[in-house]
Amino acid sequence: MGNLSYIILLPLIASLVVGFGKLGASYARLIAIVVAGIQLLILAKIALVFDPAQAGFQSTESFDWIHLNLGSLGHFVSHYSLGVDGLSIGLILLTGLVSFVALWNSQDIHEKIEGYYALVLLLNASLMGCFLARDMFLFYVFFEFMLLPMYFLIGIWGGPRRNYASLKFFIYTLVGSLFILIVMLGIALAYMDPYETALSLQKLGINQGFGIEALQSMQTALAAHEIAPNQIVHSFDLQVLSDPKNCQPNNLFSPQSGFLLGGLSGRAWGFWLLFIGFAIKLPLVPLHTWLPDAHVEAPTPISVLLAGVLLKIGAYGWLRMAIPFFPTEAVDAASIMAGLGVLSIIYGAYNALAMTDLKKLVAYSSVSHMGFVLVGIASFTPEGWQGAIFQLLSHGILSSLLFLMVGVLYSRTGNRQIDNFSGLASKMPWFTVVSGIAIFASLGLPGFSGFIGEFFSLMGAFTSTHLTPIYAILGGLGILLGAGYLLWTFQKIYLGNYFVRESTWELPDLTLLEKFSLFGLGILSIIFGIFPGIIFELSEIFVTNSLNLIFH
Amino acid sequence: MPIQTIILALLILPWLSAGLVALLPKKVQVHASILLAGLFTYLAFQVGHMPENITSYPWFSLGGKAIVASFWVTKSAQLLLLLVSIVAFFVQIFSKSYLAEDPNIGRYYSYLHLFIGSMTLLVLTDQIYIFYGAWELVGACSYLLISFWHQKEAAIKAAKKAFLLNRIGDIALLFGLVGLSQYFGTSVFSGMHGSAPAMIGIAVILGGIGKSAQFPLMSWLPDAMEGPTPASALIHAATMVAAGVFVGIRVFPFIGEEAHLFMGSIGAISLVSGAFFALFQNDIKKALAYSTISQLGLMWLGMGSSASLFHLYAHGLFKAGLFLTAGSVIHYLHHQKATHHADAQSLHNMGGLRKQLPLSFIAYLIFGAGMLGIPFTSGFYSKENIAGFLWDSAQHSAYANYYYVLLGALALGMGLTATYMCRQIYLIFLGQNRGGHSLEKSHNEWLQVIPISLLILLSLFCWISMNPMDAHHSVFLAFFHIENYHIPGFWLGITAGSWIVGLGITYLTRRWVPAKNYQFLGFIWPSAYRLAWYIGQQMQRFDARIVDRIVVKFTELQVVIAHLSAWTDRHLVDGSVRLIASTSRALGARLQTWQSAQLHRYWFWVFFTLVFILIYLLY
Repeated sequence: MGNLSYIILLPLIASLVVGFGKLGASYARLIAIVVAGIQLLILAKIALVFDPAQAGFQSTESFDWIHLNLGSLGHFVSHYSLGVDGLSIGLILLTGLVSFVALWNSQDIHEKIEGYYALVLLLNASLMGCFLARDMFLFYVFFEFMLLPMYFLIGIWGGPRRNYASLKFFIYTLVGSLFILIVMLGIALAYMDPYETALSLQKLGINQGFGIEALQSMQTALAAHEIAPNQIVHSFDLQVLSDPKNCQPNNLFSPQSGFLLGGLSGRAWGFWLLFIGFAIKLPLVPLHTWLPDAHVEAPTPISVLLAGVLLKIGAYGWLRMAIPFFPTEAVDAASIMAGLGVLSIIYGAYNALAMTDLKKLVAYSSVSHMGFVLVGIASFTPEGWQGAIFQLLSHGILSSLLFLMVGVLYSRTGNRQIDNFSGLASKMPWFTVVSGIAIFASLGLPGFSGFIGEFFSLMGAFTSTHLTPIYAILGGLGILLGAGYLLWTFQKIYLGNYFVRESTWELPDLTLLEKFSLFGLGILSIIFGIFPGIIFELSEIFVTNSLNLIFH
Repeated sequence: MPIQTIILALLILPWLSAGLVALLPKKVQVHASILLAGLFTYLAFQVGHMPENITSYPWFSLGGKAIVASFWVTKSAQLLLLLVSIVAFFVQIFSKSYLAEDPNIGRYYSYLHLFIGSMTLLVLTDQIYIFYGAWELVGACSYLLISFWHQKEAAIKAAKKAFLLNRIGDIALLFGLVGLSQYFGTSVFSGMHGSAPAMIGIAVILGGIGKSAQFPLMSWLPDAMEGPTPASALIHAATMVAAGVFVGIRVFPFIGEEAHLFMGSIGAISLVSGAFFALFQNDIKKALAYSTISQLGLMWLGMGSSASLFHLYAHGLFKAGLFLTAGSVIHYLHHQKATHHADAQSLHNMGGLRKQLPLSFIAYLIFGAGMLGIPFTSGFYSKENIAGFLWDSAQHSAYANYYYVLLGALALGMGLTATYMCRQIYLIFLGQNRGGHSLEKSHNEWLQVIPISLLILLSLFCWISMNPMDAHHSVFLAFFHIENYHIPGFWLGITAGSWIVGLGITYLTRRWVPAKNYQFLGFIWPSAYRLAWYIGQQMQRFDARIVDRIVVKFTELQVVIAHLSAWTDRHLVDGSVRLIASTSRALGARLQTWQSAQLHRYWFWVFFTLVFILIYLLY
């Protein structure tokens, strides 16, 4: 057991303690925040020992988990294996941070408090598991498990239409994970784990190393039908699944299979199913309609977690699974991906422009901003990928900030209609300053993190050899629209003469608690905006390595 | 101090100043701010006489390429830096008196420092990413300063409009810059040599249109006059709007002649239309805004050559002076009992002010002379130099006729410029007060008089050359590598003619004051705004009624299917089973009467077999 396991186990155990310990509300909150704090410390330790120059997974842990004999189909093996690399390091740090902020700002939850904190901790554990798993089956378990706390958090502590929203969220995500499940089982059955197979065929001693030659000899043996199907050991190891040479010949997932269904090869089907499965999570237009509902109904801290971390799993899934598993198919789909990304950017921005509910506006702005991630990924250039990963982290920070901003208004008035507020600058100067930071950072003002992510995603798309520049130019239109709706919001709510709809609404300025988290996030955004190298350095090797594998 | 230290200090100081001024207690904010601006000006002068150099710092690496934060002290950067620091310093002094009663004056000074910081970054940077970043930042500072009086509806709308129209240009600039770095394989300006394709050059130039309020994105600048006047003097007259010219200057050596001519054409249209619309304003600040558009057009006509740079500098000084003088007129009217509640910017409340404001009158005359390009002002040299540049380029170019057309536009623009400038001076200072207000003589606000007087001094010829008619052998021009183009003697006749035309038209139309502020291309913004809003509404309707509806209906369909299958299950599957069961029970009852009890178990198994067969068949 190493640090990575502690990251998952700590909130899991704390969740059980809080949920069933009958400790009382104030202890629940205290324990939750302390646990999130300790988790942040462990994360900091992991980040400090993380070596950005090293390719592949670090701080790895692996235990045997499931062995299953499938008779004529061979054996199934699944490991509890964790690891962190350039892609996940940023995301786990983000998860830790956003969870802490969400728990910190949960003081407005007044009913079933123990249950609430237990579920948030559970959610944190499963999110961490998603980002740390090196085994697709393990990932899938965490991925599915995440639905449970989220469903109850929206369904119990949500707004008036919480049942509708939580069910919609649940069904949507379930459909997505069904697609992922199909591909996961299909590809795992099609692929051989060379190491495990060698082990079970006793071609390898227990303590003998498994070098590149051994790997190649296993792969040639597989291609030459020298290994009987019932001897093959299948696993869900991400690395195994990322090498098409591990695929059994004649299988529909084999590059040479010649299988066609509706004009698409088996591998293309695999790619698209995975792509759609994760696209629902991102969410990508037109699979996004669960998001505004879920956000509007979710309590503020849950919105923060949802936008800050959950959405990132979609892009993480693409970068970790969909693209490495099916690299050629992904590159072939670059134009369609970029088109969908641009559609999300523009469609989300236009919809945000039409919103009268501040929280819905922020939700649609998330759709728009996540579109940049896809455009960056579709470019298949280092700039685009780095930009996309940067955008994930930057959006994690900024969307948290924006949702907290909405929460500040909502907790004071119980209302979020943009028309109901005006000229808050004169009553809430601190709130206005931090909202100004959030809004200017989100519209991509240089000096803030939002700019770097959008800029390099678009630049990647512009210079990519796989895309025509039109996608980048249309994406640029999204930047313009983004400035439009965000400045409109800023003007309506904060500037002008002071006005609120109900005279009974009192709007005291930020409390110390709120200042701490809101300004903290704002300052973080500025730091990353001025020194983007902090994040670029972490993900650089991952990006160059992944792109090398795609185009080797 | 070593060069690097000075540059670094110059880059960082304004940001620190902004924070410091915001946090200091109210009593000392303004003094501290002016002191810091003075320190900045001192540093800018230090940089001003450095040799050209490049300083770079490691920043981050991307895809294996190291991106450095590099700063390039060029002659154009030095000159702009001097302009920014001088004007900013004077504006800070002027503002102390102008905004003395404003409770939020600290915030204002803080914004000014933010602007100075962004502008310094823009001018000094060598790196296209930082350049683009600084470009957007000056736009954001402009947003903050325009909306400084955030209770004023018009001000916040103008700020938003300015930011968004600027952003249209910014997107073109973004792709232009990325195109340049792609083409030359480097992300620093200093590494770009040769000639880029025309499309890339044009994209960069298009990028400058928004910032310089050129045709057709000009309508934000007159609206931006809602901001405090001294801020307008700094950013909407002298410096920020000149960034569009500066980008032209930066890329001048490597974008090719087509892009140059494109820039010149945009400039010509803006020069003429801006000057024309300046005639139809009754708000003196809006008239000056159109005048700025027109003068920026003149710089664009210089196509980013050193002639552009020269006029940028000369214009920056006298236009800042004009704005400050206009500001002191407005300040005076605003503080008079008779006009306190009248519109202090409207020409309808002016006329005959020479009696009350003799100093402002003289200042306006001298700055106006600079606008007209009358000898003994720096404006004379710089204007003639642009004409000279066009003439010179025409001599050895395949597009010679095109250059002559541009020269013609310049002549037309000069005539219009002379007209609106003379009219403005007449309508403000000469004749009688049209509002019928009885005004008292002003007591001079020294904090306003001193900056204006110094700007007058700086606008005179002697800094450039001792010969008022000719700038050859100018130390100034030689130091800043500004080429002195030769223009044939007939052009002086055209220039003089434009002055006479201007004076003549002014005399003939002296009784006419425009009824309102006429806008050029004013429709673009409202219609663009409405269009975006409309599309947003439609998309939202589509989202709610179609995209979401499909999903919901699909889910509902599942429920219907579920109910159907439940009904089938209950009535058909189960029903048939029950039928069989009841039949068999009846049969069983009949049979039981004459068979042993063992048969009961037998029938039980038959029943189950049947059920399984049925289920198998149905599913």
